[in-house]
Amino acid sequence: MESDDILSILIGQIREVVPEMIDHDIGAADSMAALGVDSVERSEILMNTLEILGLDLPMVQLHGPRNLGELALLLKAKCASA
Amino acid sequence: MPAPDIVFAGIGTACGLGYGKASLIDGLLAGRDVFASLARPGRQAPDGSTSFIGVEMPDPPELPPELVPKRVARTIGFGGRVALTVLHEAWDEAGLDKVAPDRIGLVVGGSNLFAREQVLMAQDYAGRLAFVPPRAGHVYLDSEICGLAASTFPIRGFAHTVGAASASGAVAVIQAAAAIRAGTVDACIALGAMQDVSYLDLLGMRALGAMGSARFADQPGRACRPFDRDHDGFLYGECCAALVLCRADQTGPGYGTLIGAAQVVDGQRGPEPDGDGQRRAITLALRQAGLGAGDIDVISAHATSTPKGDEVEAATLHGLGLDQAWVVATKSVIGHGLSAAGAIELAALLLQMRAGRLHATRNLEHPHEPVLRHVQGLPQTLAVRHGLKLSFGFGGTDTALVIRGAT
Repeated sequence: MESDDILSILIGQIREVVPEMIDHDIGAADSMAALGVDSVERSEILMNTLEILGLDLPMVQLHGPRNLGELALLLKAKCASA
Repeated sequence: MPAPDIVFAGIGTACGLGYGKASLIDGLLAGRDVFASLARPGRQAPDGSTSFIGVEMPDPPELPPELVPKRVARTIGFGGRVALTVLHEAWDEAGLDKVAPDRIGLVVGGSNLFAREQVLMAQDYAGRLAFVPPRAGHVYLDSEICGLAASTFPIRGFAHTVGAASASGAVAVIQAAAAIRAGTVDACIALGAMQDVSYLDLLGMRALGAMGSARFADQPGRACRPFDRDHDGFLYGECCAALVLCRADQTGPGYGTLIGAAQVVDGQRGPEPDGDGQRRAITLALRQAGLGAGDIDVISAHATSTPKGDEVEAATLHGLGLDQAWVVATKSVIGHGLSAAGAIELAALLLQMRAGRLHATRNLEHPHEPVLRHVQGLPQTLAVRHGLKLSFGFGGTDTALVIRGAT
């Protein structure tokens, strides 16, 4: 799966968890914190994304990325090594 | 400084008769039959071995987005949505927007409130436990109702839960009143939270011999029959109610004044009723109210429809000389709300006192001994000066509340 596909999954999950963002433009340069996603919502978005990707890994391994694009790249790498 | 009088300034309710207190009083006086086979997911054993009957509510109305944003609404379970709905009704009626937030408290009555949702989650996540959502880490706690309420409404005094089994709603009222008398807050909400039971809870209560109905399995509407010789156990009913208690010097007469409130523990561990404990609670509450048995016009009995429970309670009332008071058994119409029972039945009593009409106890065809002054068949018109509400709970809690009518 390409990082763009993973980015689409992440954005879809953001809109699922925060329905107020259904019509909001969200892109690779955005961060969840800057979008106003709180910490529990962020965890749910990540958990849902991991399940879609079939990845079972500790949440702490997803710390570090500064925006959705970097997060998608990290998840792509995790998929490749899974 | 003398303790302030405490009045009931707002009521919100939800039960099988519908949402809102108008549906409650109308349904009670009409004696509507809302009993049926339980159909909400998680209420019947997955292997098809059960056929529990009782009362379930309609789905709650959508919470207004200006009150609860969509991102929050999607995370709220059934019991939480019902709690916010009844709280909204009571809040608006009591005009709590005019009270300083740090002078408002909340006592939620009930424990283990989300059992059905936990059973459903275990089923839903079987085989994919790694993906249990993070919110599951806090919404299983009963304090979820406190958090939801105080993040939706400006409650900034205090909020906590109290558990006393089927007396939880009444104990919440007692604790709310105590907080006002102590000067901690000026207004306090007592919320009898919905006991969202799972089939496991129902199986346990059936095994305990507390829950009916083997005798009327094919006639759900006849199964709940408090004080009737053919009673064979209580029937579960989804309920939730919020009562706003306020200092009398800061509001109008409301629905009436709480003039006596007593809670005792009788030493029973399980479901056994205890006449001595019941007598102590009633005697203490009447003494606090400065009343004698002859001053009570109506009693909203605990009246579960269990043979032993009804018989011990009837003997208690007879023994205290309360035979002249009219007796209503609200569970005969809305079922047994467990954690919410004390709160919604108190709400029902206040609504009946305001209406000047008492609802009939359904299915009371052959009252057992000692025969009390039951309201049978049709509603009874009565100008009530003083009402008595009784609630008892597993684990040996006995409560009695005395209300002076507003008119």
